[in-house]
Amino acid sequence: MPKQGFQPFMESPLHHFKLDAEAQPRRADGRIWCNELPHLGYAVLRGDTAEAGFAQLVQQVTGLALPLKAGAVSQGPQGVLMWTSPDEWLLVSHRQRLADWTAQLDAGFAAQQLFAQTVDSSGGLTLAWLSGTEHITVLRHLGVYDFESIPLGHMVSTILGKATVQVIRLDSDGVFVLFRRSFADYVWRLLRRAAQPYGFAVCQLEARSDHPLFAQLAAPRPSLILA
Amino acid sequence: MLVITCPYCQEAREEEEFSYAGEAYIARPAVPEEVDDATWGDYVFHRKNPRGWHWEQWQHVAGCRKVFAVKRHTVSYEIAGSWTLADGKALYEEEQA
Ligand SMILES: [Zn+2]
Repeated sequence: MPKQGFQPFMESPLHHFKLDAEAQPRRADGRIWCNELPHLGYAVLRGDTAEAGFAQLVQQVTGLALPLKAGAVSQGPQGVLMWTSPDEWLLVSHRQRLADWTAQLDAGFAAQQLFAQTVDSSGGLTLAWLSGTEHITVLRHLGVYDFESIPLGHMVSTILGKATVQVIRLDSDGVFVLFRRSFADYVWRLLRRAAQPYGFAVCQLEARSDHPLFAQLAAPRPSLILA
Repeated sequence: MLVITCPYCQEAREEEEFSYAGEAYIARPAVPEEVDDATWGDYVFHRKNPRGWHWEQWQHVAGCRKVFAVKRHTVSYEIAGSWTLADGKALYEEEQA
């Protein structure tokens, strides 16, 4: 008997812009090149660094060192772990891997009776890649932070046009802008509008298997909810 | 616009990233059932509202979301410093003594 009834599927909060259809290979032509990294997995980790087992377990499960400095980002081929607060971190990875990790972390927290938790926020966040020679200028149009001062391997949580975003710099090529699903349409239009004077183009996402974030894109893109 | 240093992010940030969270170090009566209405009313409603230096709380809502203490001058808007609530309390109590 064929399956009928409710068949849930994942949809990027920016699906209505049909970015796939617009995407072209990135060129060094002075324009702003941007695209969304859809359907990544996000989890908030909360814990007490005074408990030795917490950082140990996080490292053991994810292979990422718990960043203790304000704004620091740990990165590896399987994802990134960002400092967001003295007792809060954001873990970003492939959606299925993230689900496996959070299950292992929760089990470990319980076994060691750690004052810690994971909260899966995968449905609530999305990420955009912003590159091109003027990408910092675009951010300057929208926010008050000194975006050029973010060191490599750091992120800053600030405001772009009233919306809270995290700007993550992993290399000098561009930045990742992390924002809420509920603000996605607004933030995307904001970036696009601010980039207009320099030219705006949607770039094809590079499938770089060693990159902490590009490697986490599911291939082929998941349309069905993962079990 | 104020420029406030967040003791957790350890950076000076624009006021836009913060939200005001009222006077700092208001002591809640230890046994609320035993205080009279006037004392409880003072605790709930009465604020110092000084002309001069004021200890207040700010929350870094767009950043680390932590609440911390700021000592600010209500006339000149000068900021003497910002501390975690625990660190600031020692200074506050020293000043009040
Ligand atoms: Zn902060």
